[in-house]
Amino acid sequence: MVSTGAAKLRIKEPVGLSDRIKWLRDYYFKGLKRSWNNEFTAWSTGTAWDIQFPEFTYYIVPEIYMLLETMNGGYHQAARDVRLDPEFWSWSLAERRAWFVKEVMVNYLPREILPGDLLAGARFNIITSLCFTEKERKLYDRRIKGKKGSREQMKWFHDHGYGNAGSTSGHLIPGYERVLRIGWKGIYEDLERRYHALNPAEQKGSKGEQLRAMMTSARMPKELATKYADVCRTLSADEKDGARKAELLIMSENLARVPWLPPKNFWEAVQSLWLTHMLVMSDENYPGPGVSFGRIDQYLLPFWRISKAQGMDPDFAKEILKCFWIHCNTAYDATIRNGHQGITAGYGQLITLSGLGPKGEDMTNELTYLILDVIDEMSPILEPKPNVRLHRNTPDKLMNKLVSMISTSQGAPFLLNFDERSMAGMMLQARKAGLGHLINKENVHEYAPVGCLENTMVGNDRSGTVDNNLNLLKAVELALTGGKDLLPYTDPLTGKTEKIRQDGPNTGNPEKFKNFDRFWQAYAKQTGYIVQKCAETYEMSESIRAELFPTPYLSCLVKGCAEKARDISQGASEINFTTLEAVTYATTVDSLLAIKYLVFDRKHCTILELRKALEDNWEGHDILQAMAINKAPKYGRNDDEADELGRKVMDLWCREAWKHKTKATNRQFRPGMLSWNYWAGDGYVMAASANGRKKGQFLSNAICPSNGADTKGPTANANSVGYVLGGKAEGEAGDWDNYLNCLPNGASHTITFNPSILRDPEHSDKFKAFLQGYTENGGTALQVNILDPDILREAQKHPQDYRHLLVRITGYNAYFTTVGKELQNEVIERLSHSCF
Amino acid sequence: MIELTAKKYSATVLEIQRMSTEDGPGLRTTVFLKGCSLKCKWCHNPESISGTPQTQWVGNRCIGCKTCLGICVNRCLSFNENGLDINRAKCRGCGTCAEACPSTALELMGEEWMLDDLLREVAKDKAYFDKSMGGVTISGGEPALQPKFVTEFLKGLKEMGIQTALDTCGLCSASSLEMILPYATMVLFDLKEIDPVKHQEFTGGDLDKILRNLLLIRDTIRSHVHPKTLWIRTPIIPGTTDRHDNIRNIGRYLADNLGNTMDRWELCSFNNLCKDKYQRLGLEWEYENSDLMTESEMDALLSTARSSGINPDLVMWSGSTRLEEETGNKNEQNIV
Repeated sequence: MVSTGAAKLRIKEPVGLSDRIKWLRDYYFKGLKRSWNNEFTAWSTGTAWDIQFPEFTYYIVPEIYMLLETMNGGYHQAARDVRLDPEFWSWSLAERRAWFVKEVMVNYLPREILPGDLLAGARFNIITSLCFTEKERKLYDRRIKGKKGSREQMKWFHDHGYGNAGSTSGHLIPGYERVLRIGWKGIYEDLERRYHALNPAEQKGSKGEQLRAMMTSARMPKELATKYADVCRTLSADEKDGARKAELLIMSENLARVPWLPPKNFWEAVQSLWLTHMLVMSDENYPGPGVSFGRIDQYLLPFWRISKAQGMDPDFAKEILKCFWIHCNTAYDATIRNGHQGITAGYGQLITLSGLGPKGEDMTNELTYLILDVIDEMSPILEPKPNVRLHRNTPDKLMNKLVSMISTSQGAPFLLNFDERSMAGMMLQARKAGLGHLINKENVHEYAPVGCLENTMVGNDRSGTVDNNLNLLKAVELALTGGKDLLPYTDPLTGKTEKIRQDGPNTGNPEKFKNFDRFWQAYAKQTGYIVQKCAETYEMSESIRAELFPTPYLSCLVKGCAEKARDISQGASEINFTTLEAVTYATTVDSLLAIKYLVFDRKHCTILELRKALEDNWEGHDILQAMAINKAPKYGRNDDEADELGRKVMDLWCREAWKHKTKATNRQFRPGMLSWNYWAGDGYVMAASANGRKKGQFLSNAICPSNGADTKGPTANANSVGYVLGGKAEGEAGDWDNYLNCLPNGASHTITFNPSILRDPEHSDKFKAFLQGYTENGGTALQVNILDPDILREAQKHPQDYRHLLVRITGYNAYFTTVGKELQNEVIERLSHSCF
Repeated sequence: MIELTAKKYSATVLEIQRMSTEDGPGLRTTVFLKGCSLKCKWCHNPESISGTPQTQWVGNRCIGCKTCLGICVNRCLSFNENGLDINRAKCRGCGTCAEACPSTALELMGEEWMLDDLLREVAKDKAYFDKSMGGVTISGGEPALQPKFVTEFLKGLKEMGIQTALDTCGLCSASSLEMILPYATMVLFDLKEIDPVKHQEFTGGDLDKILRNLLLIRDTIRSHVHPKTLWIRTPIIPGTTDRHDNIRNIGRYLADNLGNTMDRWELCSFNNLCKDKYQRLGLEWEYENSDLMTESEMDALLSTARSSGINPDLVMWSGSTRLEEETGNKNEQNIV
């Protein structure tokens, strides 16, 4: 039982890879030096008014606002013409899109099988024509670029520090399980039956158009698989190596059956899953982000059992899965030349492992462990991103495996989701939205996270999990000014400074506020205003998408669309939320605490003096700033007073979020906390804040405490998070058991641990106990970072030696050396402030 | 028995450390009380020796606003070329300056906590204690110097179903120990030096009394429900307690006197992270320039300890060791 004090930290390297996988993995990491890649190709109808780029799906990526016109022009210029069906222009928009995407995928895009690859389906990143008529193009331009158009509104919303909002592709779990059960044949026949059940008028109307479009899309996987089967057969005929020859032959046989028919074994199932999945990305012209797989260790298990009984070696099953891993990563090739911007730097094709079953039992199985081995052996690698569901009865064997994987990586190579807290939130949303027939005690365990940790149901749910990102802090600013921006906005391009206007409600001169309650009332009113403003901004892109951007292939995979004969972009999924992700939560709570402390409790300054300090970006107000930073209470320390206000802030903005629905698509807003990288970028947009933060310093991330504020360690940090989410109810009054959770979407929580917590088995057990304690006291999801500031500083100096050093921030995974200096410094600062 | 109502008890608390992983089994909250009966030359927590609150100045936090100068009623504070000077002879540790200091550069070490408040505070992590067989450790200083408070505190924890550990240097009155022990699930006992003369020299305390208290703990464990567990800890201080004869003789003593009434013997290697604390308190520290122990020195002491007659499985060492030249992969480094 020797405990050595010093833990060795190594950069995680892949282990135990076969020559095949090692080659494929190394080849992938060659990036632009590869002779093959899956870069976007653009395709046109050949009309003068054609346009390819659906810009509204990128409204949540402020990094590319400046590039929108360039993207529009660039893709248009690069687009190759597709020879149209003579009937093309007589069809509805949905039918045109369905046909066009299928045509490109089946008849235009080259098809290759990489050496040794066990799965077909290589190129899928396409930017296709939006298939507009001239009239539709004019409508589109007016809605996007006209006065008060979507582009102007989303830019105003961002430039003035409110956040961003836009209808974004991906971010859901399609009904892959159904494809494995009935095949695309089953889906096609269902559509056909529904189409024939329409009366002639309906067939001629929008319902008929939509179902015909979906039927076209439903044939795409079969037609593409047939072509790939030919490629495999040809390659097999020319192959000298006997073993490879046989593999290629089996692949061609697999492709002759799936995904059209239900798979008969594991290899077929994974092949079917991959082709079905990659075509979602083709259909939406959106490479990956948040198109998630759900509980693959559950729905692939029956196929693995069949193959195992037929004699398949577990190592070969892992080999198939590792090919699947490589394929998922090629999503990134889309913009391989110009790099990845903002949210698109981490794609989040999420897989879910383990979790509760229908009777409260644990669902961990042999495939769970097999997949964890694959993750362990392939890491570090970005996609697919794993999320492991933990709960009170997670078996020790799984906990040990997870802790051991964390201890050999630079942080958990997976996210952790916590079932009880998460399910309480899902039950809450069922109640709030009257969806008890779709989400209830009997099926809520079937939930799975999307992207990183955004909880949804599976195969019938699109909840817009990254669509609305609102800076709660803006309401504090507006309460200090009576509804105006604190600082005037200057356009960086023109240098023109706008006049400050009365944007929000006039909540009065704060000088007159006699106590903190009065300030709170102003803050509450402004919160109502910013939430409403967000909903209005979102409505712009949501209505454009509903009218002009059908995705009939994806619609085939989401329950509700065929039934209603309506596209998913028109809000047809059975569960149809859009999520308001609150950003700057801790900065907001801490700012309110500082105002209360400095102005009202201790009377260190008047409210106007404080406002002046913020206008001056704290310059010349050192003492006041130091007091704001050091003396005022902070969220994240398990401090009763601070966390109580934290809960009040939470209750308020959640209540405001539930008030709104989209008009075009009837989507109910629901609350969540993600933040992506906005907490970094918007730190430069938002004025200084009362918690002592200067303009240009980062805001707080998701539900995490402000940087450096969690001085009481991880348990206090986790307790604060659990408390503001609702904590636990007395007795049985919780939404799931005694748990409460006001954020059905879930909340991103990152804690960075010092590697010494895992230095020996005794300490690993302590870490395991922390995770088990988190199940009781913490939030919905946790990302565990194990890092050392010195190694990060080293990596900053010598990036060439640390190419594979992976960091995780909010479920935003990135190779450390590829993120910007500011973000690098940020990660280092977080770690240096930890008290372990 | 204690007659007074619990509410009236308070103690001077130096620090409450949450998610402590080094003061007993599992995850713990460790409460450090101020005031110690020993004055070990190497003490890692010099601020815990005095029983009264003390002021310290953390230079790198100071923003130079000089708020403190005007606020100190005793005029103890002045700035010189080294920063803020605290006139220790005059400072009463009233805390007024620390209260006013905007940057928390001035800190008052030692805060009065009422028993009920402290119980409520440490109970916040009960979920983590329960999952890890952890609990609350009362440490110091020497907690047994505040026996009534500690007894009531441990009793309160026990009523909440929280496991408790008493971390003691062993120098206290037997009656204090007798009062506390029934409420301690386990005892962490420091045995630093087995030569009585050297012990006196290094720690300023009487070894004989410490050993008698150790035997008292042994007997209590043998005859009572609580405590159940006993861990012995020996700090390995370079040029001081790190002698092989010291370790061998401690081992023999433990083997002869404790038998199987001991569950672990931990050799804790010297740590120099407290260097700044001495500077801030205006104290000299003999070990200021001492190197950390090397890994091989600790391993050698470990084998001496294991061959001293004690069950070798019970002995371990912990703590940080000197950073030595790495020969292997350059992406690898020691994390302390």
